[in-house]
Amino acid sequence: MAEQLNKNSVVYDDEAIVAEFQAKRKLQIERDCAQPFDQQALLEVRHLRKCFPMKKTITGKVTKELVAVDDVSFKLYPGETLGIVGESGCGKTTTGRAILKLHEPSGGQIIFNGQDITHLKSKQMREIRKQMQIIFQDPYSSLPPRDTVGGILSEPVQVHNIVPKDQVKDYVLKLMDKCGLRDYYFERYPHEFSGGQRQRICIARALSVNPKLVICDEPVSALDVSIQAQIINLLKELQREMNLAYVFISHDLSVVKFISDKIGVMYLGGMMEFGTKEDIFKNPLHPYTKALFSAVPNPDPTAKMERIKLEGDIPSPANPPKGCRFHTRCPYAKEVCKHVPPEYKECEPGHFAACHLL
Amino acid sequence: MDELELKQNDINEAIDTDIPLDKNVRLMSPTQMLLRRFFRSKLSIIGLVMVVGLFLFCFLGPVVYNQWGETERDPVGGVECEEAQVTTYEVDGVTYTVRGIREKPMPYNVKAGISADHLLGTDEMGHDVLTRLMYGGRVSLLVSFMTVILMTILGVIIGGIAGYFGGIADNIIMRLCDILMCLPGVPILMILSAAMDGWVEQQWIEEGMRIYILMFFLTLISWPGIARLVRGQILSLREQEYMVAAEAMGYSTARKIFKHLVPNVMPQLIVQMSLSLGSMILYEATLSYLNMGIKAPYTAWGSMINIITTNQGVLKYYPLIWVPAGVCIVIAVLGFNFVGDGLRDALDPKARR
Amino acid sequence: MAKKTNGNYLSGKEIRAISKANAKEMKRLEAYKKRRASESEFLTQMKNNDNILEIDDLHTFFFTEQGVVKAVNGVSYDVPKNAVVGVVGESGCGKSVTSMSVMRLIQGPTGQIVDGSIRFKSSEYKLDEKGSPIPKADGGYETEEKVYDIAKMPIREIHRIRGKQVAMIFQEPMTSLNPVFTIGQQLDEVTLLHLPGATKEIAKAKSEEMLRLVGIIPENVYNAFPHELSGGMRQRVMIAMALAAEPRLIIADEPTTALDVTIQAQILDLLQDIKNKIDGSILLITHDLGVIAEMADYVVVMYAGKVIEKGTVFEIFQDPKHPYTIGLQKSKPTMTLDDSTELYNIPGNVPNPINMPTHCYFKERCAMCTKKCSGDYPGMVQVSPTHFVACHLYDEEKNNG
Repeated sequence: MAEQLNKNSVVYDDEAIVAEFQAKRKLQIERDCAQPFDQQALLEVRHLRKCFPMKKTITGKVTKELVAVDDVSFKLYPGETLGIVGESGCGKTTTGRAILKLHEPSGGQIIFNGQDITHLKSKQMREIRKQMQIIFQDPYSSLPPRDTVGGILSEPVQVHNIVPKDQVKDYVLKLMDKCGLRDYYFERYPHEFSGGQRQRICIARALSVNPKLVICDEPVSALDVSIQAQIINLLKELQREMNLAYVFISHDLSVVKFISDKIGVMYLGGMMEFGTKEDIFKNPLHPYTKALFSAVPNPDPTAKMERIKLEGDIPSPANPPKGCRFHTRCPYAKEVCKHVPPEYKECEPGHFAACHLL
Repeated sequence: MDELELKQNDINEAIDTDIPLDKNVRLMSPTQMLLRRFFRSKLSIIGLVMVVGLFLFCFLGPVVYNQWGETERDPVGGVECEEAQVTTYEVDGVTYTVRGIREKPMPYNVKAGISADHLLGTDEMGHDVLTRLMYGGRVSLLVSFMTVILMTILGVIIGGIAGYFGGIADNIIMRLCDILMCLPGVPILMILSAAMDGWVEQQWIEEGMRIYILMFFLTLISWPGIARLVRGQILSLREQEYMVAAEAMGYSTARKIFKHLVPNVMPQLIVQMSLSLGSMILYEATLSYLNMGIKAPYTAWGSMINIITTNQGVLKYYPLIWVPAGVCIVIAVLGFNFVGDGLRDALDPKARR
Repeated sequence: MAKKTNGNYLSGKEIRAISKANAKEMKRLEAYKKRRASESEFLTQMKNNDNILEIDDLHTFFFTEQGVVKAVNGVSYDVPKNAVVGVVGESGCGKSVTSMSVMRLIQGPTGQIVDGSIRFKSSEYKLDEKGSPIPKADGGYETEEKVYDIAKMPIREIHRIRGKQVAMIFQEPMTSLNPVFTIGQQLDEVTLLHLPGATKEIAKAKSEEMLRLVGIIPENVYNAFPHELSGGMRQRVMIAMALAAEPRLIIADEPTTALDVTIQAQILDLLQDIKNKIDGSILLITHDLGVIAEMADYVVVMYAGKVIEKGTVFEIFQDPKHPYTIGLQKSKPTMTLDDSTELYNIPGNVPNPINMPTHCYFKERCAMCTKKCSGDYPGMVQVSPTHFVACHLYDEEKNNG
C-alpha cells in the first residue's frame, strides 16, 4: 500500500517550488520590461502588480501584503475594447485604477502612448490624465451633488483649456447632445436624474477632455436592462465616432461579449485567460472561463443546459491558495495544481491561459 | 419584429421633437428642500425667532431706544437702600431677627425700579439696564461670532490638511488635537487673565482688550473639535467616486480641496458652527462673570451678572439688575442650539421622519 | 443653489398645498393602520381556492414632499399553491413595494397602502379555549386554514402572518443578519418563536436540519458569527432562516443580485432544489430575466407601478405580447446573441413617478404605439387562459372573445 502511494504520488516541496517559480518569473519580468515599446499600441501593460499593505510594524515596515493584482499583461490598440471579466475580489477594478495611476503600481510597467508612465509624479501625470478617463459603476456617488450638470461638464473643459473660454458652453451643449442629454439639463442638479441619465452625464464628463482611452469600471452594472442597452449602444457609437479605446470592466459576461474585441478573465488577482473574443467564447480553454460561461442564467425557459458547477466560495484574496489559485474550486484539479503555480502561456497565437491541463 | 425595428427610428425622431415627459415634471430645488425640512420642525422655527430677535434687539435696539447712552449714568440723584442694622431678640427660646434698612442718598439714580424713564430700571452705577443689555449683547454676540469664525477657519485648514494628506501630517495633527482636548479651558484662561493683570499695569495692553485676547486664546485651544469633524468628513468624501473622478480629471490639489471637498463639508460645518456659538456665548459669560471679561464702564451680559458676586444685596433685593442678562444668555444659547439641531436634520438626507 | 424664479421647480404655494393634502391623508391612513379590530373584520374568502395569495387592485402610495408617488398603482396577481411566481421589472416599477406591502413593511407615515386587498390563506394551529394548540395523535398539532385580508389587517395583528406564514429573503445578505448573535442563536430564535412548545433542544435540532437542507454542514456554521461567513454562505443561512418556520409563502426579493455569478448559480440550484422539497410557494422578485426563466412557473411583468403582462413562463418568454416585454427581452445581451449589430434598446426613461400621465405609461418609449394609446390607460386583455396583457394592440381580442 505504502509502496503504491510512493509510486503514484510525487512529493512536492512547496517552498522550493515557490522559490523556483519566483526566480523564474523575476527573470521573465526583467526580460520583458527591457523590450522596446510597441509604438502602435495605445496602452501596454507589462506584468502589472499591485499590493496593498495589510499589517504594518510600528516603524511602518509592511509585514503582510494583500496582492490585489498579480502579473497582469496586455496590449491595447487605438479604437479597441478590452473586456476584463471576473468575480468580486479578482482585482479587475484595481487593475483599471492602477492603469490610471489612481493606485501607485507596486511592480511592472504601464506604457501609454509610447511613454512609460509607471513612475511619473502626480504633477507630470496631470497632463496625461486628460488622455485617459474613467467611468464608474455607481452613477449616484460619482457626480458631485452640489453642482449643476453644466458646471460639472464645463469644469474639466475650463481647467484643461480644451476650447476658448467663450465657447465652453457651446462645446458642452454639443457634447451633451452627443451623449443623449437634453439642453435644458444644463441648469439642473444630478439628484433630479435617473441612473441612466446620470451615467450619461458621467460619460459626457469623461469625454469632455477628448481622451484616447476610457476605463469603464462596471458602467452598466447598476442600471436596468433597457437602460443598459442604451448605454452600451452609446458607448459603441462614441467609440466609432471618436476612435476611443476602452478597458471595459464587468462581471457580466454577456455585456462584455457584446462590446469587447479582446477579453481577459481574472480570478483572485491573476489573469486566467486572455484572447480575442472569438478565442474566449468559441474555444474557452481555462476551466474557470468555462464554468463562468455556464453559470450565466439563460433567459430561455426551454433551454436546460448542463452546468459546470463550482463548489465552495471564492477564497479571500488575503489568503490565496497555494499552487494554482483556482484549484480549490476547479472540478478538474489534480495533485500538481495544489502545489505548482501554472505558467501563463500562449496556447494559440494571441490566446493565453494559465492552467496545468493545457 | 421587423416592423418593430423599422418603427424604432420614427419614434426616436418623434420623441426628439416632442416636449419630453420629464420637462413637465417639477420637483423641489435643493434650496427649497432644505428650507422645507428646516421649517418642518417647530423647535427650529422657535430657535430662529430667538436668534433673529436677539440680533435685532442688540443691533437695532439702541437706535430705537436711544434715551440713554452706553456708559451714560442717570445724573438725577437717587437713593440706595442698604441693610443697616441687624438686631436679634430672643423670646421664649425663639430667635427673631429684625433688619433695619437705611436709605442712602446717591449722586446718581441707582438701582431704580421700572419706570417710564428706565424700562428695566437702573443698575448699581446708575446705568439704564435695558440700554446696557443691548450694548452688552453686542459685545457678547460679536465676541462669540469672532471666536467661532476664527476657530472654524483654523479647524478647516488644520483638519483639511490632516484629512487630505493623511500619513504623518494626519498623525501629528490628531495627536495635537488629543493633547489640546485634555486642557481644561476655564482654569487656563484664569491663569492667563492673572498674567494679563500685570500686562495691563505695564500698559502693554488696554483693559478693554482683555476679553478679546482671552477669546483668541480660547480659539487656540478649541479648534480641535472642528478639525476632527472636517478631517472625518474629508476622509469619507475622499472615498466618494466623484473625488476619484476629480483626481482622474487631473485637477490641481487646491481645486480638489476648495472646489470639491470644502463645499461638501460646509453643511456639517454650519451645523457645528451654530452649536459652537451657543457654547462660546456661555464661555464669554463665564469669563465675564469671573471678572476676567470686559471691564466697566463697558459691559457684556456676563459682566452684568458679575455684580452678584460682590454685592449680596443685589442678588437678594434687585433681581431686575441681573436677571435680564441671564435670560438673554439662556435665549441666545437655546436659540443657537435649536437652529443648529434644525439645520442638522435639514441637511442630513438620511434623517427622514 | 437654484434661483427661486426657476420654472423647473415647484413654487412655495404648490409645496404647501402638497404638504397639506398629504398630512390629511397620512393621518387618516395611519389611524386606520393602528386601529383595533376584531378578527371578523379582516377575514375573507379566496376567489380561487388553489391560490395561496391573491393581490387584488393594490394601491401603495408614498406621500412625499414633492407629490404623491404611486409606487404600486392597481396591481393584481395571484400566487398559486406550490408554485414559483416571478415578478420582473426595472427599478422603481413597484415590484419590491408590492412584496413589502404583503409583509406590511411599508415605512409609515409617508408610505401607505391606500386601496385594494391582499388575500392570504394562512394555515394556523387550532387553539382550544385556553388558547393553547391541540396536539394531534400522530405528533404535531391540529391546523386550520384562515383567509386574511392583509391590507385591512391592523398592524398589531400582523404578527399572525409575518415570519410564520410569510418569510422573506432579502437582497443584501451582508446586512440582514444581526452581527452580534451567532448563526445558531438567530436560527433557533425563529423556531422558538413560531413553533408552540419548542424547547432549546428541539430548536437546535430543527436549525441543524435547516442548515443541512441549504447545503451547509451545521457543525462548521452553527456557532459562527455572520462576519465569519462569505456572502454566498450568508444567503444560504438567510434561506435556512426563512424555511425554519415552515412558511406557506417565501418572498425572495432579489436573492442573488448581490452575489457573484458562480455563487448565484449555486444559490439558484439550491432554490430549485428547495422548491420541490417544501410545501409552499415562492414569490421571486428580480430584474434578471435569466433568473426568472430558470426559476419561475408564472411570470408577472411590471412597469411604473402597474402589471403590464402576466402569464406562464413559456408564454412570457416565447410569445411575449406587450411591447415592453418584447423590448426588454431583446435588449438583454445574451451569450448566444450575434453581436455584430447594434443592441436593441428601448428609448427614453421610465416616467417620473410623480405626475404620471393618464394614457399608457409606456407610450413615450413604445415602438408600436397607435392613436389609441393617447387615450385611456389600457385595461387587462386575456389572450389565453393564463396569459393577460395591458395594451391597446390587443383590444380586438377582448371584443372577439
